[in-house]
Amino acid sequence: MRALRRILALWRSEAGWLGAGLIVAMMATATGVALMARSGAVVATVLAGGVMMPGLLRFLGTSRVLLRYAERLLTHAATFRALADLRVWFFRGLAVRAASGLGFRRAGDMLSRLVNDVEALDGLYLRILVPLAGGVVLCLALALLFARRAPLLGLVVVALFLLAGFVLPALAARGALEGGSMLTKAAAELRIAVLDTLSGIREVRAFGAEGRMLALIQGRESALLAAQSRVAGRGAVAGALAFLCGQAALLAVLIAAGAQPLPAIGAAFLVAAAFEAIGGLPRAGALAGHAAAAAARVLEAAADAAPAVPEPDQPAPLPPGFALRFEAVRFRWQPDRPLVFDGLSLEVPQGARVAILGPSGAGKSTLAALALRTAAPEAGTIFLGGTDIATLAATDLRRRIGWLGQTTHLFDDTIANNLRLAAPEADDATLWAALDAAQIGDTVRALPDGLASWVGESGVRFSGGQGRRLALARTLLSPAAILILDEPCAGLDAETERAFLATLNAVAGGRSVILIAHRLTGVERLDRIWRLSAGHAVAAAA
Amino acid sequence: MTESRLDAKGWVRQQTSGARAAALPAVALGLVLVVLAVAQARIVAAALIGSGARPWLLAGFVALALARAGLGIAAERAAVAAGAAGRRRLRHDVLGRLLEAGPALVRQRHSGELAAAVVDRVEALDGLFARWLPASIVAVAGPALVLLAALLADPLAAAVLAGAGLLVPLGMALAGIGAAVASRRQFLAMARLQARFLDRVRGIATIVLAGRAEDEARALAAAAADLRRRTMRVLRVAFLSSAVLDLAMAAALVGLALHYGATLAAHRLAAPETALFALLLVPEFFAPLRTYAAAYQDRMHATGAADALADLPSVPPRPAPPPAAAVRTVAARGVSVAFEDVHFAWDEARGPALDGISFRVPAGETLLLIGPSGAGKSTVLEMLLGFIRPGSGRVTLNGADIASIVPAALARMTAWIGQRPVLFAGTLRENIRFARPEATDAEVEAASRSARVDAFADALPAGFDTVIGEGGYGLSGGQAQRIAIARAFLKDAPLLLLDEPTVHLDPVTESEVLDSLRRLAIGRTVILASHSAAVHAFPGRRLELRAGRATAARGAA
Repeated sequence: MRALRRILALWRSEAGWLGAGLIVAMMATATGVALMARSGAVVATVLAGGVMMPGLLRFLGTSRVLLRYAERLLTHAATFRALADLRVWFFRGLAVRAASGLGFRRAGDMLSRLVNDVEALDGLYLRILVPLAGGVVLCLALALLFARRAPLLGLVVVALFLLAGFVLPALAARGALEGGSMLTKAAAELRIAVLDTLSGIREVRAFGAEGRMLALIQGRESALLAAQSRVAGRGAVAGALAFLCGQAALLAVLIAAGAQPLPAIGAAFLVAAAFEAIGGLPRAGALAGHAAAAAARVLEAAADAAPAVPEPDQPAPLPPGFALRFEAVRFRWQPDRPLVFDGLSLEVPQGARVAILGPSGAGKSTLAALALRTAAPEAGTIFLGGTDIATLAATDLRRRIGWLGQTTHLFDDTIANNLRLAAPEADDATLWAALDAAQIGDTVRALPDGLASWVGESGVRFSGGQGRRLALARTLLSPAAILILDEPCAGLDAETERAFLATLNAVAGGRSVILIAHRLTGVERLDRIWRLSAGHAVAAAA
Repeated sequence: MTESRLDAKGWVRQQTSGARAAALPAVALGLVLVVLAVAQARIVAAALIGSGARPWLLAGFVALALARAGLGIAAERAAVAAGAAGRRRLRHDVLGRLLEAGPALVRQRHSGELAAAVVDRVEALDGLFARWLPASIVAVAGPALVLLAALLADPLAAAVLAGAGLLVPLGMALAGIGAAVASRRQFLAMARLQARFLDRVRGIATIVLAGRAEDEARALAAAAADLRRRTMRVLRVAFLSSAVLDLAMAAALVGLALHYGATLAAHRLAAPETALFALLLVPEFFAPLRTYAAAYQDRMHATGAADALADLPSVPPRPAPPPAAAVRTVAARGVSVAFEDVHFAWDEARGPALDGISFRVPAGETLLLIGPSGAGKSTVLEMLLGFIRPGSGRVTLNGADIASIVPAALARMTAWIGQRPVLFAGTLRENIRFARPEATDAEVEAASRSARVDAFADALPAGFDTVIGEGGYGLSGGQAQRIAIARAFLKDAPLLLLDEPTVHLDPVTESEVLDSLRRLAIGRTVILASHSAAVHAFPGRRLELRAGRATAARGAA
């Protein structure tokens, strides 16, 4: 629950909206209950020979309708503000922390789950805090109203109300916290089985394993459904217990009615309406349990995790030169994994074209991660223009280095906007030049919307090879002095690959180009070739 | 867009009609609960006025309270069960479609996206089956039952309730085009913002490395603020229809209270408990309507998810199964393969992928398919795997038309190794045993030795029991390819299909893998597709493909 409090603290700037929503919601709840209680009391008053005050009843009815409308508008407006704040805060936090190494590992799925966690926090205000505030105001009202006329009965009713409105929801929250991790695990296992079956569908079909995989998926699905049903069952029991609390309170009123029938009528209507109004709180408690678990994960990713590479306290100025030099670098991704580099030294002189070759797993992509400082070496130093990159601000360093990775993302936006990520100010002519250099200009020209064509989620509207070329065009647009191209030709057929590499010989114009590949085609014009093997780099003839 | 929306709506309708039977228990329990609540209201009214035998009334109250609590749990369980049944059926249906559509579909769509459809989108439909469906029925039948009870007690009270009840649909229609349209627009806008947020988070490394994180954060905030303003404009109207519900309930309460107050004051009402009963019925009358309004969000959620599911290509109807007499398996040892003037097009607009291909591979021999990518090499292999059928012409195995061989028998005859073998989440041993689940440990180890898997397995943290695949230990491309070769050794099938098995490997690893493949090829019929020069040294006959045609067939290199 501490995590939830920290999330709430993020919303301090929206406190005005959130507070106004809560106050109106409390007033709406109070008038709703008062309307019901007053309707019953009218009958009692008349039976006792009193005057029924129709004006009060009409006032309560009108206020109830207006306040509910105002409540809905205010709480929704507040929710939207809080929700936007949360997303932007999360994005900023993630950009500083989790971005390290992300481009180099398959983390897309983990990120999607984090986004789901952020979504789970959307209900925190509207579905948890607002009903809870209503419960608080009703509890006070019950205590005040009963204290004067029937203190003993009041004690019973308020105790039952506290049980139904606060104790049971708290228990439901704890149950959800425990059940939540079970659900998450079951859902993850189902996801892995489905993903395996679909991405390995050729294997599955070729080995005639459809039945086996289907049985595996359905087994995992049953486990998930059983876990959900257990959690829901517990929620239903909590709801039923809260209902019984209300019924017990009503029973107490009915028993008391034996002695004083007429005041009991108003009391019975009041108690029935008050408990009815908080009937949803156990469910809100269960939601709070989920939200707390989600909040803990979100905070861990966006606030608590230390950045993989700390920023220097006093960044050094960016040097004018851009020769890149690795000196005796030792690196591994995790302490329990084997070393990727052990005493790696290599140099990319300013303006040089260099290829880095090596078998898969030799650390070619890791080299890019180190140069971009999304990971830091255990030992050794990397220099840019003679300055240790550990002393530079990351944004400065990355302004110097343009990168095309294996996992470079295409955004669900237009081609132009995707390209302008690298160069926000670029005009259309510049964009076309980059597209032509990446051998995709003709394809884009043939599209009815040209540069305004939509790329689709992760570039689905284009084939894999076309998507790579769009990403490549974006990298070429970058004003960076050093371009790191990690397997730029993966997914291209042989002829396109040659055409692209031939273009690359012309476009670089004074920039350094680092071409990472597992083999060369012979078209590349290179100044130097490094071969990676066994954690070292060996210079080879160009 | 409009059309796909219609599709999605039709699809939701189709799903709900299928799930109606599963929702029946929840509906029945919901209606029984309404009846019990009415009975209890009757008892409360009597007990408050002091008419009737008090102990019996109180006993009846307690009994009804316990029954309502118990049935409430049962109703919720029934709703959960209906949701589970609906999702189970739907997931089975979607998975069946995906498996049936097979590799052709995964070629067009990212498998992560498809997995999200099977897992998350189907989960998102839970509210439709569990809550919306029962609520939409109880919202009509429940108030009708309450109305009946009111009619028996006091026709005038029934008239007031019915009038207020009619206000609800009327008000919804009057509040613009109604809550439906407004809240759908709101939901769509939310979904779009959510999708944009997810997209930017997935690509966050690209944004950060391009130095644009702050710009994107500001753009996200601006988009959210814009959405808020537009949504609130819509909601101001949409909430009017919810206000009508509140108004109807307040009007019924106030109207009834004032009416009974006046008649009681004039001593024209014989039994004051009728007045209390009628007032207590008001919340019961509106409760199902409120549940219905709350469940509307579930329906909106479902329509959003349904868009993605309805969007999955429907599977073309399977060709009629061949006559039973022709169904056969082919002799297990030694398979000869022949293509006779085979034509095939993936997409008519883009021209044929195979344009009159003929060749013959005798049992135990090797055919190298060479040519640039897009020449039709993979299409030939997919046809032999049974993923696609020739548009015209014939493909035969040992003289039998491939269409007449049952898929399971075809799968038994062939082993296949592709460009990037998929490693499943599990241990190294399980991944090899995938090829033949009944294989003994000794057989798995023999296959591993033949494929040289043992050379790197011993260096792994837990040897053959190291967990690999999703979330497990990462293996290099060459190591993964060795596992694929071990699978093929273990399967020991007479026909071996190799699709660019070394295209992603460096030259040293490539020659090692080719060495293993050469041993695997001994005694089998092999068809190997590649454009790699190193592979061309593989012993066998060569067939050069270009644009779906064979340009030259030469003898052994």
